[in-house]
Amino acid sequence: MIADLVISLVFIGYAISVLMGFGTILTWVERKQAAVMSDRIGANRAYIRIPGTQVKLVWLGLFHGMADGLKMLLKEDFKPRTYDWYAYAVAPWVVFTPVLLVFAVIPFGGSLTPARLWEPLSAFFGDKTWPMQIATLDAGILIVFAFSGLTIIGAMLAGWSSSNKFSLLGALRAGSQMISYELVLGLTVLGLILVYGTVNLDAMVRQQSGIVLGFLPAWGIVYQPFAATLFLAAAIAENKRIPFDLPEAESELIAGYFTEYSAMKMGLFMFAEFIEIAIIGALFTTLFLGGYNLPYMSDAGFAFPGGAALALPHGAVVVTQLGTFLLKVFLVCSFQILIRWTLPRFRYDQVLMFAWKFMFPLALANLCVTAVVVWAVRA
Amino acid sequence: MTDFLAHLDTLLLWAFAGCAFVSAALMLVLRQPMRVAIALVSCMVFLGGVYGLLGLHFIAAFQVLIYVGAVMVFMVYAIMLLDPRDESGGEKFSKLLWPGIIGLSLLAEALAVGYWSDLPPAPRGAAGEPFDMIRFSQAFLSEYWLHFELTSVLLLAAVVAALAVIKENRRHDHG
Repeated sequence: MIADLVISLVFIGYAISVLMGFGTILTWVERKQAAVMSDRIGANRAYIRIPGTQVKLVWLGLFHGMADGLKMLLKEDFKPRTYDWYAYAVAPWVVFTPVLLVFAVIPFGGSLTPARLWEPLSAFFGDKTWPMQIATLDAGILIVFAFSGLTIIGAMLAGWSSSNKFSLLGALRAGSQMISYELVLGLTVLGLILVYGTVNLDAMVRQQSGIVLGFLPAWGIVYQPFAATLFLAAAIAENKRIPFDLPEAESELIAGYFTEYSAMKMGLFMFAEFIEIAIIGALFTTLFLGGYNLPYMSDAGFAFPGGAALALPHGAVVVTQLGTFLLKVFLVCSFQILIRWTLPRFRYDQVLMFAWKFMFPLALANLCVTAVVVWAVRA
Repeated sequence: MTDFLAHLDTLLLWAFAGCAFVSAALMLVLRQPMRVAIALVSCMVFLGGVYGLLGLHFIAAFQVLIYVGAVMVFMVYAIMLLDPRDESGGEKFSKLLWPGIIGLSLLAEALAVGYWSDLPPAPRGAAGEPFDMIRFSQAFLSEYWLHFELTSVLLLAAVVAALAVIKENRRHDHG
């Protein structure tokens, strides 16, 4: 019982540190990658000087994240005279908390048996095995959608309670955009649920460690390449980033629904956005990129298409799986940032038209084709 | 410590149920539309927590997904757009406040005496097998499909009725 509690606390600690780490690193990646893409040097001003010397540590501008955090903590916490202070105060948390909670159902590794990692641990943990996932819920992907619906309410509350016309317009745009793209997101995932026959994320990942057509890894993107593209586009729209950043388009609405927020409350909105990049990366990895496994890899080790197999010790498997998951998530995040610095912004009517007249029919068609094919294959 | 952990889910269940009750009461008492909506949202989320602790993860997910993710989002959207800052009805309580309170307490007592004592103990999901997707879908599509369809027809009728009422009022306004 206590062993369960310890394992859960370790997993929760790991998840929170991974998300916070990604949130901080991605602010840096966004600047540096943009600089690389447009042939500039990028963030390089923040430094730490070793006391008593003139040695300045710049480290490629990595300290800019710390400087940002410090700035947000020390700025004046401006409070507008709003109509509803309660909604104003609670809105940043309604946006921030669900983003963190979503990670609870995402498996970030295979199974963990502490006794096989290090012999003395068996005295405390026994030879029990835990799946590396905070909450092993059978409802998996449904929980993800349930929580991500909450952030819409947070964005609308923030814009409404600020009593500022720009904020209200931003909230209006955020609400209609997120509702539209949430639908597309759900439809694209339905096809995947049909293929795997489950909504449990860990079971999905385990099915993806097989082989299809003799040599390809059985990843979701192989079964549903079309849905993967739609999913990523809809997820970026759900996160309200360029080219879909109309709710906070700075040339039109200042900062959209969080115009009236300052200091760390504004920081929460920004941080939630960056953590959501990582969450989208984690979801995309889990659903379409084989989750925590390398190609041809399962909890036992590697099994290559030719028939060759390579058994790995438990510790090596755990470390490889954790590392693989982080690497895949980082690559998807980097791809999202690549899109953000490549495309121009849509016009607002184009955003909604794109959702309802382009992506929604495509997602429906994808679902129909998948249903027919799955039915034909199983029959 | 082990004792505490064994009762942890009961403790959490009571905490969630208490929070759900408090937010439901707040929903009835508060007067500003947006705060009423927030109270209803938190009530739904806490009820989802209660379902989750009873082992009904699917019901919990649907509770939050449908009621909060769909219904309440549209309610908050409508309140945001209409922005009703109606200060009329300045009287905080109706004249029937005391009769209402007495009636409510009588009802609660009648329920407690006549109904609560006969209730079977609450089924706990932890004891039986989990209520998974397959069992949920089979029950839904074989036993409850008629109820579901009837409910949707009823809702459609309600929407049409609401439209008719609004049109009737508009005609009076113009005529």
